[in-house]
Amino acid sequence: MPPASQPHALLRRLAMPLIHAALITFTALTMIPFAWMIAAAFKTREDFLRSIFLPAGDGFLGIAWDRLTVENFVRLFTELGIGRALLNSIFLASVTSLGATLCCAMGGYALAKYRYRARRPLTNLVLAALIIPGPLLLAPGYQLLYQLGLLDTYAGLILPALAPAFGVFLFRQAMLNSVPQELIEAARMDGAGEFRIFFTLVLPLVRPMVGAYLMITFLQTWNNFINPQVVLQSSELFPLSVAINSLRGMYGTDYGLIMSGTLVSIAPVMCLFLLLQKEFISGLTSGAVKG
Amino acid sequence: MILALALLSSVLIAMQRMEEKAPFTFWVFHYGHVSTYQPVIDRWNEQHPDAQVDMVHLHLIAMERRLLSGFMAGTPVADLIEVERRVAARAFMGPDELIGFYDLTDRLRAEGLLESFNRPSLSPWMKHGKIYGIPHDVHPVLLAYRWDIIEAAGIDITGVETWRELFETLRPLMQDFDGDGRPDRYILGGWPAFQAFVEAMIRQAGGAFFTPDGEIVFASERNARTLAEVVSWCVGPDRVCTDARDSTVSGHRQRLEGTVLCSIIPDWQVSVWRNENPGMSGKVKLMPLPAFEPGGRRTSVWGGTMLGITKSTRDFETAWQLARELYVSREVAEITFRGTGIIPPNRDFWDMPVFDEPEPYFAGQPVGRLFIEQAPYVPERSSSPFEQMAMEKMSSVAVLLQGYAERERKYSAEELLPEARRLLRRAEDEIRSHMARTLSFENL
Amino acid sequence: MSAAPPSPSRRSVRAFPAWAPWAFIAPFLVVFCTFVIWPLISSLVLAMQRTYGPGYTRFVGLENFAFLLKDPAFWKAVRNTVVFAAGSVFIQLPLSLGLALLLNRPGLRGRSIYRLAIFSPSLVGLVFVGILFRLVFETRTGLANTLLHELFPAFDPEFPWLQTYVMPSLILAALWLYAGFNMVYFLAALQNVPKDLLEAASIDGASPWQRFRHVTLPAIMPVAGFVVLLSTIGSFQLFELPWILLDNSAGPDDRGLTIVMYLYQTGFITGDLGYASAVGWVLALMLMGIAVFQRLFLSRAEEL
Repeated sequence: MPPASQPHALLRRLAMPLIHAALITFTALTMIPFAWMIAAAFKTREDFLRSIFLPAGDGFLGIAWDRLTVENFVRLFTELGIGRALLNSIFLASVTSLGATLCCAMGGYALAKYRYRARRPLTNLVLAALIIPGPLLLAPGYQLLYQLGLLDTYAGLILPALAPAFGVFLFRQAMLNSVPQELIEAARMDGAGEFRIFFTLVLPLVRPMVGAYLMITFLQTWNNFINPQVVLQSSELFPLSVAINSLRGMYGTDYGLIMSGTLVSIAPVMCLFLLLQKEFISGLTSGAVKG
Repeated sequence: MILALALLSSVLIAMQRMEEKAPFTFWVFHYGHVSTYQPVIDRWNEQHPDAQVDMVHLHLIAMERRLLSGFMAGTPVADLIEVERRVAARAFMGPDELIGFYDLTDRLRAEGLLESFNRPSLSPWMKHGKIYGIPHDVHPVLLAYRWDIIEAAGIDITGVETWRELFETLRPLMQDFDGDGRPDRYILGGWPAFQAFVEAMIRQAGGAFFTPDGEIVFASERNARTLAEVVSWCVGPDRVCTDARDSTVSGHRQRLEGTVLCSIIPDWQVSVWRNENPGMSGKVKLMPLPAFEPGGRRTSVWGGTMLGITKSTRDFETAWQLARELYVSREVAEITFRGTGIIPPNRDFWDMPVFDEPEPYFAGQPVGRLFIEQAPYVPERSSSPFEQMAMEKMSSVAVLLQGYAERERKYSAEELLPEARRLLRRAEDEIRSHMARTLSFENL
Repeated sequence: MSAAPPSPSRRSVRAFPAWAPWAFIAPFLVVFCTFVIWPLISSLVLAMQRTYGPGYTRFVGLENFAFLLKDPAFWKAVRNTVVFAAGSVFIQLPLSLGLALLLNRPGLRGRSIYRLAIFSPSLVGLVFVGILFRLVFETRTGLANTLLHELFPAFDPEFPWLQTYVMPSLILAALWLYAGFNMVYFLAALQNVPKDLLEAASIDGASPWQRFRHVTLPAIMPVAGFVVLLSTIGSFQLFELPWILLDNSAGPDDRGLTIVMYLYQTGFITGDLGYASAVGWVLALMLMGIAVFQRLFLSRAEEL
């Protein structure tokens, strides 16, 4: 072995532990807030202030395990009836994400795979829409919902969220990258209809993007807490995010309750992410290149 | 796909919601109030099958947006709205006839209610002498102190009359326990960036941001003096204040651990402290605020809520009756006090025995009575829609003054006064420029 | 540019019906025109008005814009927003890229666990982030100050994060919240790096830095440009995070004031809807300028 490569080899052997060390440090910093949240969800109000994480005591690891409580979770479901809100959230998030994904995929397809005169202006329109600041539309948008009679309906929440320009843009990129024009033309030669081509040929090809975008819109809808309150007027329609936020009272915040509520609200999206993790990453790949 | 299943199930279940809407709506911004009013609303709905009421709890931000859209563009708002000062102020823009709430002055007078309300508590809902909302509260401010620590040191502060006296009496307790050269105990939880504290101090000293008719008096000499004085408490090596705010974890922990001995507390925070800081039970007592000058005002004001009837209501009489049941009721007053510590603005209720009950959290003191004793002296405010902006600007000026003091090493109120005047004038000009945009109606 | 005529070779293949593209874009167009274009036009009208209440509006032309140019608070908001955007682009994105590079190393064990952990903040809502980071940045008892004071006793336990260093605090909070998401973008981009090229470079004795500079970087450049653009646009629209973190205010001396927050404050707190719309339009114009600038620099001509 030539002597020159020896430090190199040493470096290579050290590299892995160093990488792990760096990753573990960063992961730990990221996870501290979660640890805090989980600890807070199981603490009584008294212990919440006395200890940052778990209350100290003489139990295993110096922690007073017997002082922990699941009362916060019990209250969440019994007193506050969070079940209905959970259902509302699932409904809102799944319908919105499915609808938006479909609309965006179709729009992206129209921009990527057809050649027609309006294509370029339409593409520019989508690009320009990316820079419109949402809050600019708050006041006129609310008025519009009222005029359309959509206040206090789920439609008033779902419809405006159905066609974000960002999604159309992502799908356009994905289609440009991973749907070969020849394939579409071949299918057309075989006499397949336009919609059939889209649903049976194109969509499966951009499946990762579909997964990624479902995930993105689901998350957005799931965590949105101001808009539902502005549009919906009846509290039985409110989603989970609103229900949890309302626990942040002006006359005192019950941190344990809020943190247990947050845990409950993270669980479903966590599962979803675990399920769609693979699609998510490769979907972003296809959507992002050729910016 | 899994999501399709999720969709299907949720669609199915969401279809099952078939509830008829009550024709009459009542918005409440605070969750705690919902449970207080629920029995009243339930009883009302039983007795009035033709005027069913739907009570909706809304986040303050959501209510803010809906109200503004309603007042600006005529989108629907509730018939009856219980709303906090910051948001209600929006209704007071423009000429009087554009105010989104009904003028209740004559009605209150006709039913003999006008005289029974604590006068200063009406001021935030008044414009040009007319009253547009029924006050929910008085919100006087008292001083809460760790009597256990203070008494253990053999000190008695119950006779203290001025802030200066308080600081001198307690200064021996400011110690450095861990030897890092910094005190680990301060006298007062107050800080320039703590908006409510700055506002409370300005008002306690007799200052104001606006006159009752909405003219700006932000940069008054009195405000400059108060500000210089208060900031001097928070700067330099001998400062007596620390940043321990009301309902923050930091504030609670500093009070619990004795890092700070005294805090200002309005009546509505009685429940906040009980709920968020149960460990301090029995260790705190209340007393009137020390005054700025001997014989001066011993209280201030912090927050405020009203009940208003919107001009778009379907039926004013129904709204009025319901408002009376909610706000002119000994029963509700008692539940509210027990639940939150809030005393009613209705002076007729002040003799209720519940206010004399000893409160174990505050070492057995009759908490209601202590607040009620100061209630008549609460400072007046205005209904200007720029109160919120002024309050933020005042705190900003205090922060800038604090920075100036630390930079220039000028720690006394006298030294800070010129800069305080300058900063206040500059901030007032900014507020004026915004006021000029929305309040000048001459040219319409 | 005018639409290029279809090339002759394409003309020969079987044509699609003319309605087809329109059918596919229709849902987007309908929703977009109704819920974006229409309110957008209303907001433009609003931006040229002074509003006093229902029925009380007056056309003032460009007066709102003239006021804006002289409004110190607006310029403060612009400055803060630019600081935040710079923090996002120059601190957060390189960190995300670094994490992605570490995670992309062949033979790394526990990759999916790291990935999930670092991504997980994206799953929580802003409400939680607001509550949490107020606790982190509190003086004396906050996690940040407690930890730093324990490690370095000279560190002031009353370090005023959310009072004096508002923007740095926001950048840190945003780092926690979004670094994982951007990391996934970069991870995705790294899948495009040709492995054989990396190996060839390695055999040729190229140092890790050289390999990164000449092989990896060019391959991820398109995605990087895209992420930078998204990040900048997102940063310029920053609102909810500081609004929640600073307890529904702009912070002391407007140190946490962002452009969109100013829009919100003037519109919904002060009720000056016309002025708020003017602020929004100026922001849109600024973003347009940035987007054009970045496109010129980062991805030359867009093909097709």
